[in-house]
Amino acid sequence: MAAPKFAFLLLNLISILPLLVSSFSVDRPTDRRILVLLDDLSLKSSHSLFFSSLKSRGFDLDFKLADDPAIAVKRYGQYMYDGLILLSPSTERFGGSLDVEGVLDFVDSGHDLIVAADANASDLIRNIAAECGVDFDEDPSAVVVDHSSYAVSETEGDHTLIAADDFIQSDVILGNKKIEAPVLFKGIGHSLNPANSMVLKALSASPSSYSTNPSSKLSSQPPSLYGTAISLVSVVQARNAARIMISGSLDMFSNRLFRAGVQKSGSLNKYEKSGNEQFITELSKWIFHERGHLKAVNLRHNKVGESEEPSMYRINDDLEFSVEIFEWSGSSWVPHVSKDVQVQFYMMSPYVLKTLSTNGKGLYHTSFKVPDVYGVFQFKVEYQKLGYTSLSLSKQIPVRPFKHNEYERFITTAFPYYGASFSMMAGFFIFSGVYLYNK
Amino acid sequence: MGRSATTKDAHALFHSLRSAYAATPNNLKIIDLYILFAVATAVIQVAYMAIVGSFPFNSFLSGVLSCVGTAVLAVSLRIQVNKDNKEFKDLPPERAFADFVLCNLVLHLVIINFLG
Repeated sequence: MAAPKFAFLLLNLISILPLLVSSFSVDRPTDRRILVLLDDLSLKSSHSLFFSSLKSRGFDLDFKLADDPAIAVKRYGQYMYDGLILLSPSTERFGGSLDVEGVLDFVDSGHDLIVAADANASDLIRNIAAECGVDFDEDPSAVVVDHSSYAVSETEGDHTLIAADDFIQSDVILGNKKIEAPVLFKGIGHSLNPANSMVLKALSASPSSYSTNPSSKLSSQPPSLYGTAISLVSVVQARNAARIMISGSLDMFSNRLFRAGVQKSGSLNKYEKSGNEQFITELSKWIFHERGHLKAVNLRHNKVGESEEPSMYRINDDLEFSVEIFEWSGSSWVPHVSKDVQVQFYMMSPYVLKTLSTNGKGLYHTSFKVPDVYGVFQFKVEYQKLGYTSLSLSKQIPVRPFKHNEYERFITTAFPYYGASFSMMAGFFIFSGVYLYNK
Repeated sequence: MGRSATTKDAHALFHSLRSAYAATPNNLKIIDLYILFAVATAVIQVAYMAIVGSFPFNSFLSGVLSCVGTAVLAVSLRIQVNKDNKEFKDLPPERAFADFVLCNLVLHLVIINFLG
């Protein structure tokens, strides 16, 4: 009788195990579990190089068809994945409980997203991209065409396969090794709102590109998207450190284009292998927080000569300030070295703004004199650098004026007044004497 | 013509004042000297403040008011002690001097406190 009960108990315990698996946490920012939604299971083999590079870096990939009714990113209020890859450009509706709202909530809670669109991108994918700040061309049949920067190929002559090499200049996002070969791209283009400060063009189109339907005649009106306003791959870094990559081409991730040689039209350089694999791999490292993720700890301040943090400063005090900034290297926290971290001593406007000097081991420090104004101040560190998570720290501290007995005892400019008062007293004594004893 | 007449009148006025003043008793002259000393000190302090600025304003007020208060008390002593004054005919001059001393004590106490 006890054996079935024991088996039942064991089964229950085993079902809890998946929830105990370690995942994204503040101490280890790199994502672990990723849900990949495909609209065709053949993508698993035609894009196998991309997936195997992710798996070799330690990610757990969960492949599902986009209209699988068992899709769920959230269970009992907790997210089951740290990242989402949508390689399903033609899916109109996701299966299960996922929709545009669900994807946006996923990103808003700090998780990462990779979206790939294509020439037949559905409204669902376009809406998700629009909510992230990226506007695809409204014409559903338009693709990016470039007649002077296309990839020379024997089979395709309509110049929709583009060789792009206008990368974003950032070692954090794209790695410190320069990408020599151009990246092959075939798909739709998008534009970014210039007022949006959080979205960046990772790969731009050349000035001679434009977005049009290649099989129809050009209309008399100029195309709405053209030139360097077209972005081929964009990245978004949200204020909660969620990172999103939106690409207009699903083929860019495929094995065929990873392995293909590339020669840009008009140039004599022929590359054996396109830059796609390096570009996609480095960008996915950045997206999944293996690079460029900062944390700041130990924000401390104290009076010069003391080691404890006081609860209040006095005007004209000398104080020291220090903070430690670390960067996640993919496996451990290493010190972040930078010359332009600044601290503000702020009350409605910064009274003191100083650049912190570093000791190379992640400790940033400076010292300054408290200004001659009293009130409630804040130590503020606002650090926003391209490709890094933004740091926004603040610590409040009140500043009091001089106490009654902290002024100088005798004021030099008042000596004549002191002299006059005492001379009046002396005069009074002398006058009394003279007056009384005058004959 | 008119100008020399005015200056002649001024001279005559000045001489008559001087001779009248010479007739005042000695103790009143001593009080007058004391008053002059106090007022001169006050004027010097105001000139100093005009140059340097009023930074420790409490000290400035204390210094000036000590001079002004001394002058005021000396003037009241002079009024009470003057024999030509009908109003204070019955007041013994010792009483007037005692009042003067007490008031000066209070004045200097306040001045030192406010000097800062």
